Amino acid sequence: MLSQISATRTLIVGAGGFLGASSRYLIGGIVYNYLPATFPYATLIINVSGCFFIGLLGAMAEERAVLGPTSRLFWMVGVLGGYTTYSTFGYETTSLVRESSYLPAGLYVIGHLVAGLGAVWAGAFVARWLL
Amino acid sequence: MNLPRDGQLLRIFIGESDRWGGMPLYEAIVQEARKQGLAGATVFRGFEGFGAHSRVHTARILRLSEDLPIVIEIVDSMERIQSFLPALDKMVKEGLATIEKATVIFYRPGERPAEK
Repeated sequence: MLSQISATRTLIVGAGGFLGASSRYLIGGIVYNYLPATFPYATLIINVSGCFFIGLLGAMAEERAVLGPTSRLFWMVGVLGGYTTYSTFGYETTSLVRESSYLPAGLYVIGHLVAGLGAVWAGAFVARWLL
Repeated sequence: MNLPRDGQLLRIFIGESDRWGGMPLYEAIVQEARKQGLAGATVFRGFEGFGAHSRVHTARILRLSEDLPIVIEIVDSMERIQSFLPALDKMVKEGLATIEKATVIFYRPGERPAEK
């Protein structure tokens, strides 16, 4: 059972995730009002901007301690996590690189690309098998 | 204020998310130390660690960076450190406190006038 503290934290993340996911949906719509639908520009813009903001907030939290733990939970895990999980991927990869853990960082990047894309294919395969 | 050469170092290990009286616990401990006229207090935030629950907190993994370790160090005379302990005991619900012998080399206020 969730403790009261865990429940509060989950609600904080959920509230942030609502804002992040809604922003992603709105920004995605706006991008395709201006750019052609020949390339997934919106996802690229959202993923890159999410990484920029997690870098910004991460440095503010770490180097100036201007973001407390609750604010970090709301903004970095909730809002940015809902906006794009790619921001978490970017944060964790750069954290590994910064501490010279190059092999885990490389495996993490390759794992996301290879296993991630492979999992899409595997999911589609399973769906076809089930139907 | 002067510090005797033979002092004590009080080290308190808590979590960043711990709170007391509507503020972060580390801030409340520093304020209480100041109120009691202790010589000084310094707060450090750790990058990684684990405590009594054996759960690792680390800044490296976003999901595990919620409650990073905080260490507060206070150096003062044995009497003042001991008289601070009851208040500290009341405030810390989860954490660790240790006391070590400290040899004070110097404690200098510098040129600036003390803040009111």
